[in-house]
Amino acid sequence: MPSVTIQPDGIRTDTREGETVLQALSRSGYGFRVGCRRGGCGICKADLLDGEVDYPVAVSDTTLTDGERATGACLPCRAVPRGDITIQLRDDKLRCCSTLLASIYGADSTKGSC
Amino acid sequence: MGVMRLGYVHVRVTDLEASRFHYGETLGMKVVHETPNQIYYKGWDEFDHHSVVLEEGGVGLVKLGYKVEKSTDLDAIENRAQNFGCITERMSTGSNVAVGDGVRIVLPSEHVVELYHEIDYVGTEVGLLNPDPFPRHLVGVGVPRIDHALITCEDPAAQERFFSEVLGFRPVERVVTELDDGDLIGSWMSCTNTPHDIAFIKGENGKLHHFAYNLTDWTAIKHAGGIFAMDDVSVDVGPTQHGITRGETIYFFDPSGNRNEVFSGGYQTFADSPPITWTADQLAKGIFYIGRELNERFTSIVT
Repeated sequence: MPSVTIQPDGIRTDTREGETVLQALSRSGYGFRVGCRRGGCGICKADLLDGEVDYPVAVSDTTLTDGERATGACLPCRAVPRGDITIQLRDDKLRCCSTLLASIYGADSTKGSC
Repeated sequence: MGVMRLGYVHVRVTDLEASRFHYGETLGMKVVHETPNQIYYKGWDEFDHHSVVLEEGGVGLVKLGYKVEKSTDLDAIENRAQNFGCITERMSTGSNVAVGDGVRIVLPSEHVVELYHEIDYVGTEVGLLNPDPFPRHLVGVGVPRIDHALITCEDPAAQERFFSEVLGFRPVERVVTELDDGDLIGSWMSCTNTPHDIAFIKGENGKLHHFAYNLTDWTAIKHAGGIFAMDDVSVDVGPTQHGITRGETIYFFDPSGNRNEVFSGGYQTFADSPPITWTADQLAKGIFYIGRELNERFTSIVT
C-alpha cells in the first residue's frame, strides 16, 4: 500500500486501493483545510514533494492548471498516489481529528501532534 | 416590470458523466435533451423544457435565465439595461435549445443573465387534470424545481440597484456593515413572493456561490440528507435553518465542486413588504441561525 507523508509535521499513513490522499487521511483520523472535496475550488491545493499521483476523476484545469501540475501542485481531495508520496501543505498543518481512528489505522504521528 | 421567476441555471462541470449521476440519480432530475457536451434537465414539477443545463469544461456559472411575463417586457428591460450602462445583446430563437427570442445582459458583476418569454412547454409529471401530489416513481431526492441562485459581486449596492431598477426585483433582506450609512454587503431579492429569487454577497465578480432546489418541508430536507450520505455527496453545511429567509437547508457540492442547496420553508413576501435588515456582526446567525457560526468553506468557496 502506498504511503502518504504530510509535511511539515511528517505524519505518515497508508492508503488503500484507489483511495485519495484526503480519504486516506480522513480514515486515519487526520484533517486539514479543505473545501468542496471535489477538485473544484482549490482550497486544499498542496505541493507534491516526492512521488506521483493520478487523477481518476477529472478536475477543472482552471483549478489545477497544467503549469501548476508541472511544478508539483496537487489537489489532495482528488489525487490518488501511484506509490509512496510526500506532500507539503500550504499555510496549514495536519490536525488530528480523532485519536481513536489514528490509533486504529496506525498513522505515524511520532513527528506530529496527535 | 415583468420578470416572473428564475427559469434556468447553466453551469460548467468537469465531467459530464460523473455529473449525470449526481443530477439524475441523486437529485432525481430528468434528462430532457443532450448534446455531445451538454445535458439539459428539468424537475418533476416544472412546466418548461429545462431548468438546469450542464456544460462540460471547467466549473462555475455560465448564465442564469429569467422568464418574463410578456414578450414586450424584453424591449423594456433591454432599454433599461442599456440606460443602466450594461452591455446587452439580442438572442434569437435557437441560440438556446427550446428557448425563444430574448435579451442577454452582462451585469455590473460580470455575470450573464438571459431574459426570455418563450420556452417549449413540456408540463409537469403529474399533469393538469386531477393531478396526484407527486409522481410515484421519483428517483433520489426527487427535486421538484429550482428555487434561486446566490452569486458574488464586488459592488452589492450596484447589483441591487440593477436588479431593482432594470429587472423589477425588490430587496427582501439586506446585510449592512452597520446601521445608518453602512455599506451593503449582501442582498436577498425577490420577483415572486418567496424570500429570494436571486441573492448576492460581496465577493469576486462573476462567481457562483450556489444554486438551490425547493423542497416541500424539513422532512424532505432530512430525506435529502440521507440520499446524500448514501451517494457520498460532499456536504458543506446542514441540515440547519437560516435566519435570513428562515429557510431550512443543506448545502452540498456536485462532483465538480459547484455548490448546490436544497431549501424549504421560508416565508411569503409581497410588493409592500418592507426589507429586513441584518448587521454584519450578526451575519453568522443570519446565515446559520442554529449553529451561529460560518464555516470557512461557506464564505471562501465560489466557482
